[in-house]
Parts: sequence; structure tokens; C-alpha cells
Amino acid sequence: MGIGDIWNLIAMQPMINTLIVLTNALFNNFGVAIIVLTLVVNGIIFPLTMKQVRASKAMQDLQPKIAELQKKYAKEKDKLAREQMKLFKESGVSPAGCLLPLLVQMPIWIVLFQSIMRVLAVIPENLVGLSDFLYSWPIVYTTLPLENHFLWLNLATGDIFLALLVGGTMWVQQKMVMTPNADPGKQSQSAMMLWMMPIMFAWLTMTFPSGLAIFWVTSNIFRIGMQYFIGGWGGLFKTESKKPAGRDKKYKERIAQVEELPEGGADIVVPTSTQEEGSSDEESGDKRPDSGGGYTKSIRAAKRKPRRGRGHRSKRG
Amino acid sequence: MRIRSAAPAGKIALLVILLLLGLTVLGCYGTKTSPEGGSGGTVAEDTLFLSPAVKASGGSFGCTPAAVDGKLVALSAADGTRFWEITLEGSRSGGGVFGCQSSASPAAVYGSPAVAGELVYVGGYNGKVYAINSSSGVLRWVYPREGTLEPIIGGVIVAMDRVYFSDADGKVYALDAATGDIQQGFPFTTGGKIWATPAVSGETLYIGCFDKKLYALSAIDGSKQWEYETEGAIASTPLVYNDMVYFGSFDRYFYALDAASGSLKWKFPADRWFWTKALVNNGTIYAGCFDGKVYALGAENGQELAALDVGSAVYSWPVLIDDRVIVANGEGEIYAIDTASNQETLLADIEEAVYAPLSAEGGVIYVYSQERNLYALNADSGVGLWNLTIK
Repeated sequence: MGIGDIWNLIAMQPMINTLIVLTNALFNNFGVAIIVLTLVVNGIIFPLTMKQVRASKAMQDLQPKIAELQKKYAKEKDKLAREQMKLFKESGVSPAGCLLPLLVQMPIWIVLFQSIMRVLAVIPENLVGLSDFLYSWPIVYTTLPLENHFLWLNLATGDIFLALLVGGTMWVQQKMVMTPNADPGKQSQSAMMLWMMPIMFAWLTMTFPSGLAIFWVTSNIFRIGMQYFIGGWGGLFKTESKKPAGRDKKYKERIAQVEELPEGGADIVVPTSTQEEGSSDEESGDKRPDSGGGYTKSIRAAKRKPRRGRGHRSKRG
Repeated sequence: MRIRSAAPAGKIALLVILLLLGLTVLGCYGTKTSPEGGSGGTVAEDTLFLSPAVKASGGSFGCTPAAVDGKLVALSAADGTRFWEITLEGSRSGGGVFGCQSSASPAAVYGSPAVAGELVYVGGYNGKVYAINSSSGVLRWVYPREGTLEPIIGGVIVAMDRVYFSDADGKVYALDAATGDIQQGFPFTTGGKIWATPAVSGETLYIGCFDKKLYALSAIDGSKQWEYETEGAIASTPLVYNDMVYFGSFDRYFYALDAASGSLKWKFPADRWFWTKALVNNGTIYAGCFDGKVYALGAENGQELAALDVGSAVYSWPVLIDDRVIVANGEGEIYAIDTASNQETLLADIEEAVYAPLSAEGGVIYVYSQERNLYALNADSGVGLWNLTIK
């Protein structure tokens, strides 16, 4: 049995048959089945997604410090790497924390994505291939082939409105997590990412079956809701961010401690003039309590401070 | 020189893009976004007519390959010499969204061409039916003359000087075979897609539909005579024999109905669904199934006479040669079933997937593979006589 067979057995077959049974249960409406299954899968991996989003946000909050280190050790790469690792360690942020949950989620997205592609089966070649993935449940055999019309959509073909919706929701989601960067180069890089992803996915939506676009739109809306829950509208509107809830405060507090205690730990020197970084603190949106000199207090000492209890945090909220 | 390393957020975004692109590519692995077709051959007067599969280059990153025109080719049945070929118009190469997706369906042909008199008929996924002079390859007529129908996936048949076919919109059409004019009473509209080829016996047309029903229509005026509902969609072409209609369904049953009334005579359960047309010889029905078996069933009572293991799913239509049923499985193995003993023997193995109907003439079997290769095999020994790549 090859890897492909194992993948089909443990991932593809369960997902495809679930999708078909769900369609049957939802009045043979494949579009609704895609939405429901996408939400269910998102719900199952919600803790992982939360972890990833929190880690990303914490990483973004550390950007000013990283920028300072990069500036100071521009010619000493080894030293820079050491200092960055030190900073991550002392602030309790793990770069892998952003990636590991994402990597764990990837197989789940791939199987959902592949299942939708296969179940649509609008041409004989694909319908024939689908038969290899079916369980011998009567409900599966009597439900196929699935009706591929949903609202105004033919789920088997691309749709321009849905493409705009995919691009739009993706842009909103990215804009929410995007934070201004003091470095103009990085700022333009972020701006490019902000537009490149939505445009790319809008283009893919027009060339792929609409069923996949429904999956993308549903996922995007789910993540927009989740982002709002975590940090409000973020970079989308220039309003006061929603206060972080629950465990997200932990990251914020640690990073705040790092910023408040400038001595020891990572060897960070804040530039004497904010002009050197290309923008003012106000423009960058970063809070810098000490912009005039080096940090003098050990971050380790700050880390040793007893954590505040949950009850106290809720009072702050 | 200062080396500026990308911010972790930027790296992560880049990684996400790469992963999503990978996801897109992986998601498409094993699935096709554009129809390829590839008809079986039809032999008439030493000429083999065939529509090759439509395959276009490109199509990476979820981009549907630009559609290319389909073809009908006429070959010498003896050695494969090409007599003529005609382009089946109706598709455009390029165009569409960002110059990537074709704005028209490719003229992929799934059903075997039908030959009657001096014309050969073929229907395409692009929603058009073509009548072409079988000697010269000159187009006689096309239906519809303007615009297109929904994709035509089943084959066309000719009976009573009419061409019968159906489309994915669930409509059954009858055209004048000489002129291509639509006949009064047609099209008849069913409740689902139709991918099957119709069968005509006497003045009745039988056709299976994705709405799970088998319809019996008047071949004269298109009026419905009866319908029979199964538990699954019907993609197999019906077989009419001794006043009975035989067909398989996605519900994994093979059915026998009374041809006049549509009442159920018997049904036979299998492990997977039925797709291909059945064959009959000396009162025995041979029905290939996706469970990798060919079932030999008594035509009268549905009694299982044999379940012949042919290794993998049977998609293509079988052929009957001298009391032997020739069957190709999805992996390219060609089996010969002796109808006297109901024993199968492996005749040849072309090692390429076979979906297209088989055809035979003069002791030669013609097999067109999904790799666009046409094989001519000796029906007795299975030895390859010649093969060609038909593009």
C-alpha cells in the first residue's frame, strides 16, 4: 500500500463520503453542505487556528524590537540571530508557534479541497474516478451524482461575483491582521502581500469550480469573525481595537513587559531619532515607552514577576 | 552592503502563499477540470471513424487548459492509414478569463460515431451534433446551426432516418438524418442530466437519466410512454432484447423491465455501480460493473450464471465476436469471455486506461486508450496488429 493509498483511506474517503452524506441530509443541497462542512472543519481546528493567530500577533508586536536588532547588527549576522532568539525566548514568543499549527492544518485543508474537487465530478473522467472513493453505504450511492446548482451558481464553473467575494473577504481578513511597519521597505512588502493574495485567489476562483470558491469564502468569513473576536477590526479601521480576551492578554502582557524593561536580556538599542526609522512612533502605531536610551533592566527579571490571575485580567477588560 | 532580512510576518505570508499554491496544485491532483473525451471507434466499409481525446497543454496553478478543437478522423481499418480528418468547430483556443480558461467548451467526444448511409454523425461536449460525409470528410450539417446545446456526453444513434441524442440539460432530441432539422415533438425534457446513449427498438426510444429514471418515449413524436424510477442515477445505455429492457444504475442494481409497460421483471445486486452497456448472447446477459466483475445473468429471470473477475472496473462497452464477449477493464487489460463455458481469459494488456467503447470488425478488436493510442488486436490471439497515436 503506497502513500497515496493510505492518504485516500484515512483522509479522502472519510471526507468525500461525509460530504455526500451531508448533502443528502441537507436536502441534496451541495452548496449548503460545503458551507456546513467548512464551518465544522474550521470549528474542529479552531484551537490550532487560535494558537497560530495569537503567535502571529505576538510576533508582530515584537517587530519594533526586531527592527532595532536588525539595525544594530546589520553586519553581524550570527550575533543578530543570537539576539533575535534571545528576544523570542525572553518574550515567550516562538517563531515556530506561527508555523506549526499552520502545518498541522494543511492536510485538513488539502483533503477538504480535494474532496470538493472530486465530488463535483462534472465530467465523466472525474465521476468515474470518484467511484473508487465511495463507501458501500446505500445513501452514498443513491445521492450521487450531486446537484451542482446553488443559488445563482453552477458549482462546477467559475463565477465572477464569487471571485470578487473571495478576493474581498481575503483582503479584509489580511487587512485586519496587518500592522503598520516603521520600515518603508517592509511596509511596501506587506502592502504587496495585502493585494497579491486576494488578486491571486480571485483569479483562481474564476478558473476553478464555484464549489471551491464557497469553501474559500466560508473560511475567510470564519477567520474574519475569529480575528474580530481576538483583536477587533485590527488594521481594517482606524478605531480603538477591541480589547483582547482571555489568554491573548498573556502574550500582550509579556511583550509589554519586554518593552517596559529595557536593561539586560536582548541587547536592544533604540535609535536616538525616530527619523532614522523612517516614521514617527505615532505613525507606526507602536508603543515605545522609552525612545531615548537603552534598556536597563533585565527582561528575565520581568519574566520572574508573578502572573496576574484571570480574575484580575477580566477586571482590566 | 546591508542585507535586509524579510520580517517574520513577511516570511510567514510568503510561506502561506506557497503553501496555498501547493494546496491548489495538490487539490487538483487526480482531478480534471476540462473534458477530454475520446470516443470508441465505429467501423463501416473498412473505415474506422473515431474522435480522439482532447488534451491541451498548460493548465498549471488551477488554470484550466485552453480548449482545443476536437476532431473526427477516418482511418483504414486494415492498417490505420488516415483517409481524412475534420475539425469539430465550436471551441476556441485561448480567450476566457485572463487568457487562461477557454470561453467555450472543447469539442470532446465521448460517444462512438454513428454511421448511416453516406453520413457519419457525432455529438460533442461543446453541445453540437455534426453530420459529415463519410467518404470525403466534408461537413453536411451541424445542429444547432447557431449557438450550442448543453454538453452532449452520450453517443448519437440513427434509426428511422432520424438521429437521436440527448444532452446534459436532460433533453432528448430527434433530428432529420439528412438535413439536421429538429423533429416535431422533440426535444423531450426529463428531470435531470443525461449522459447515456439512447436505444431505439421498434418505435420506442429508451434512455436513462440522472433523475434516476429510465424513460420510454415514442421515437415518432417524443411522447412519453412510461418511466421507471430506480434508487440511483442511470448512466448506462439500455439494452433491448426479447421485449425486455436491461440497464444498470448507480444504486448498484442491474434491472430488467418489460419493454412495453415498464414493469420490473427482476433486478440483480452488485457491489458497485453499473456504467457500461450490457451485451446479450444466447439468452445470457453480460453486464460489466465497477466492482471489477462481469456478471453473466439469465435474461429471463436474472439468475447469476457467473461472476467473472476481470481485475478492475469496467467502463467501456464490450463487443461480441464469435460467441466471445471482449471486455476491457480500466487498467487496459482485455479479457475474452467464452459464452459457452462462461470462463474468462486474459487476451491482451495494453497497460493504459480504457474508457472508450470497444469496436470490432473482421476478427480485429479496436481499442482506444486514454493515452490517445489506438490499438488493433487480433481477436483470437490478442496479438497487436498495429497501433497509432491519434491526436
